[in-house]
Amino acid sequence: MINLIGIVGTGAVESTNRKLLQYMKERFSVQATIEICELTDFPFFNKPVSKTAPETINRISEKIIAANGVVISTPEYDHTIPAALASLLEWFAYTTQPLKDKPIMITGASYGTLGTSRAQSHLRQILNAPELSGLLMPGREYLLGGSLQAFNDKGELMNSAKKEELDKYFEDFVRFVVKNQ
Amino acid sequence: MKLIGISGTNVGDSATTLLLNFVKKEFSNLAEIEIIDIRQLPLFNESIEIGEGRLVQDISQKITEADGVIISTSEHNRSIPSALNSFIEWMSFKEHPFNNKPVMIIGTSIRIQGSSSAQLHLRQILDSPGVDAWVLSGNEFLLGSSGSAFDEQNNLKDASTIKFLRSCFKNFLHFIQAAKFLNASEEVHFEPGEYQVSAIGHNGKLPMTITVSKKRIEKIEIDTKNETEGIADTVFQRIPEQIVSGQTLNIDVISGASVTSHGVIDGVAEAIDLAGGDSAVLKRRPKPQNIVEQESLELATDVVVVGGGGAGLSAAACALKAKRQVIVVEKFPAVGGNTIRTGGPMNAADPDWQGTFAALPGEKATLEEVLSQDEDKIDEEYKNDFKKLKKQIENYLQSGNNKLFDSILWHRIQTYLGGKRTDLNGNEIHGQYELVKILTNKALESVKWLEDIGVEFDPNEVSMPVGAKWRRGHKPLKSQGYAYISALENFINNQGGKILTDTPVQELLIEDGTIKGVVGHNFEGRQVIIHAKSVVLASGGFGANTKMIQKYNTYWTKIDDGIATSNSPAIMGDGIKLGESVDAALVGMGFTQMMPVSDPVTGELFTGLQVPPANYVIVNKEGKRFVDEYESRDVLTQAAIDNGSLFYLIADDKIKETAYNTNQQKIDEQVAAGTLYRADSLTELAQQIGIEPDVFVDTIDKYNSYVDAGYDPEFGKEVFDLKVQVAPFYATPRKPAMHHTMGGLKIDKNAHVLNKNGVIIDNLYAAGEVAGGIHAGNRLGGNSLTDIFTFGRIAGTMAANNINDK
Ligand SMILES: Cc1cc2nc3c(=O)[nH]c(=O)nc-3n(C[C@H](O)[C@H](O)[C@H](O)COP(=O)(O)OP(=O)(O)OC[C@H]3O[C@@H](n4cnc5c(N)ncnc54)[C@H](O)[C@@H]3O)c2cc1C
Ligand SMILES: Cc1cc2nc3c(=O)[nH]c(=O)nc-3n(C[C@H](O)[C@H](O)[C@H](O)COP(=O)(O)O)c2cc1C
Repeated sequence: MINLIGIVGTGAVESTNRKLLQYMKERFSVQATIEICELTDFPFFNKPVSKTAPETINRISEKIIAANGVVISTPEYDHTIPAALASLLEWFAYTTQPLKDKPIMITGASYGTLGTSRAQSHLRQILNAPELSGLLMPGREYLLGGSLQAFNDKGELMNSAKKEELDKYFEDFVRFVVKNQ
Repeated sequence: MKLIGISGTNVGDSATTLLLNFVKKEFSNLAEIEIIDIRQLPLFNESIEIGEGRLVQDISQKITEADGVIISTSEHNRSIPSALNSFIEWMSFKEHPFNNKPVMIIGTSIRIQGSSSAQLHLRQILDSPGVDAWVLSGNEFLLGSSGSAFDEQNNLKDASTIKFLRSCFKNFLHFIQAAKFLNASEEVHFEPGEYQVSAIGHNGKLPMTITVSKKRIEKIEIDTKNETEGIADTVFQRIPEQIVSGQTLNIDVISGASVTSHGVIDGVAEAIDLAGGDSAVLKRRPKPQNIVEQESLELATDVVVVGGGGAGLSAAACALKAKRQVIVVEKFPAVGGNTIRTGGPMNAADPDWQGTFAALPGEKATLEEVLSQDEDKIDEEYKNDFKKLKKQIENYLQSGNNKLFDSILWHRIQTYLGGKRTDLNGNEIHGQYELVKILTNKALESVKWLEDIGVEFDPNEVSMPVGAKWRRGHKPLKSQGYAYISALENFINNQGGKILTDTPVQELLIEDGTIKGVVGHNFEGRQVIIHAKSVVLASGGFGANTKMIQKYNTYWTKIDDGIATSNSPAIMGDGIKLGESVDAALVGMGFTQMMPVSDPVTGELFTGLQVPPANYVIVNKEGKRFVDEYESRDVLTQAAIDNGSLFYLIADDKIKETAYNTNQQKIDEQVAAGTLYRADSLTELAQQIGIEPDVFVDTIDKYNSYVDAGYDPEFGKEVFDLKVQVAPFYATPRKPAMHHTMGGLKIDKNAHVLNKNGVIIDNLYAAGEVAGGIHAGNRLGGNSLTDIFTFGRIAGTMAANNINDK
């Protein structure tokens, strides 16, 4: 059993990325616990001279440091990740740096067909910056297109191919996490 | 060429911003760049309806109107900073101002790579469908090692870097021209005919008739009777002319009358859509005319006046009377400045005239208070006058005269006492005796002089402007501030003076260490050099420059970034900065005056329900009263600031009847627009404005009981009129707005500008709100007009004499 922190990559009230994380939390409850964190809890990055992190950033950083890994599910806004997620990552880079060598799984859901491919490739580059140095699993991508229609009333993924793909990815990720402890 | 500059950074004074500022300064002869501070906006979130909606729209509007945008980015984690990311999200959510807009990217970083990865991301982002900008390709300007790239004047150190930047910038200007052709190619077709629409103007509805033929807009007629005289005239002339001549809706709005400008443009757009055309296509077309680089325009004159408000125009008129050549240089498309916005009455003691009006109850008591005032508290230089005033008052009271009293000394002492204040640091300030003496001695002469120029005053009314403390206001017959400006403008034009509008002065022209004129830019982006023997600075105060107010403020505990202003947007302290460039001394800069009961967004005084203070019921965001509503402007202002600035004026149907600024139609329009709240019960009203109904109802119950008792145990309000009891109920949102800046350039009694050693700066004069020292900590209502027409005249006369002396 591994412990993961899930980050919803948007502050929006209605988010299919949140749904995706909630689905994963249920679906993989045997292999892992996923604590879901919301971006609305964090202030806008303002690069304070003191380099001290706000309380909420400290709190999530401690959780991340204690966890075995992180799952980020990002939407795509204007071909990149939302500013709210970028702001959180700036806090991390500038203050607590909790992602150093932390295994990270990236997923993304979008209404359109491309399923956040550009945002995810930006996110990979971003997480590779020296101050973040997240440990990304190479060669894996999970793009959920048409996300508005993807879930049923119970919040379950309906498309069986997409379900399997996610199961497989998660299985690999658990192995990746264990190997990198 | 108008460009918008955006510094993509979360911090204020980063290298990214320095680079952008440098571009603005270095290429000011090629383009005018307005820098927008994106940090005003909160982190983007689609789910919250933010109060900043208006801010987003304003910024979007500016981008839409600009010819292009320069984005300077730093690099955070291999990408763009979240601040820039969030900004672009706002600009691609409801608004899409970047659509087909030429954009140039520049950037810095502290390490060697100079934001290369961020710039690549930014290109991809700007290319996304919701943004869809036209980004200049190639020309990658990456400034690495930014920590050491700038010198102490914040200029780039390395000449070859500057050279490369210049070539990128010039390529961008060509790119903009090319983009215009691409944007222009779309054809339109109309159903010929006349189309009636009603656009929203500044003061309400603006009926228009637009005539179109198959392919062209032929004629635009506007019914202008609802708009403010003066300010909007330029709009009605220039905008229809430009639309018809250019067959485009991509028109620069007229500064200072942007609401009316948008009204006209939107009206035409609506008509075009009605006629089966596509207004979006016309908005994408190029602007009517655009000249990039040109020779400068050189002119020579005796006296050049910077600023066409009351002070500047009266200075110009006096110099013309002294048979000197005069050029007035005005930043905006029309003269008038803050002067045209005034209520109109100007203070001048004229005892013979005032003595024909009956005294009002309470006026005697005010005079008696003077007699009982402690003389020791009066500053030395005013003591003598104070004693003489007491004698005058004693004689008046003994005589049993029941007519209105006044004297020059009473005006002088009121100006002095009214302006005496202490700031947060414990520094006391009061008006400089020498200047206050001239102001009060020459006030009446200024009234007579204006009459000579052609301003007609109402002999049948002696008014007391708000905050004036005494009835000595001479009120023009024609509408408000326009009366002064139109008379002076006519006089100047008839006497052969020249007025250059649309020409902000940016520098003083200095030759061999002395001032020899001014340098500015005109409407077409052409540099304008004016050689002159005397320069009069009359550019007004800095009431629209929040940053500058914050920088100097020593009086208010807090000045919000988003504070509104009653001032013209031109009033940015330009003259003070020009003075500083030649080492002029400044006085009283920390003291500013606010209007406590202003529109939270526009700063206007005359929106919502403005009722007499006896009927003010003021509650804060918690629904509680917090101040004696009858208090003076500065007490109300500070109390509001202490309560988070935003507050509400509560009224019921009867109190509404006492409003002096509005009518039912305007009220209904404002309720519909959401700028005024109306409800059938107090509970519902509380819900509308988001305050706890129980608290609010309790507050009103208590207030009503105080009205019955004639006594307010909580805040000591003493003057009451009506209770809040008859539905419907109203809440007018208010915030203090910046109104007047008392501080400014230090002048002597001849309006010479003094330097920091108290020495006259040759050839330089200043008058009006740009100068300080008179009103000190607080200006009396109606005294500003007296000031500008008195010292304006002195400055003009002295500037003319300066030439005789040589
Ligand atoms: C809404 C309102 C109501 C008021 N009511 C009253 C009242 O009832 N009674 C009273 O006594 N006072 C009143 N005041 C104050 C009074 O209007 C001003 O203090 C006074 O008009 C200032 O006159 P001025 O000539 O110094 O400046 P302004 O009239 O402001 O003129 C300055 C001019 O300089 C121009 N300018 C600025 N920078 C440049 C530049 N770089 N180059 C060229 N031109 C430039 C501006 O565009 C403007 O036209 C009021 C002010 C406001 C805002
Ligand atoms: C959170 C954060 C992440 C950063 N990531 C990078 C980076 O990936 N590459 C780089 O060259 N500089 C990076 N920097 C340094 C900035 O480029 C540098 O601080 C910049 O000059 C300051 O500009 P700014 O803070 O305006 O945004 C980063 C700075 C911060 C605060």
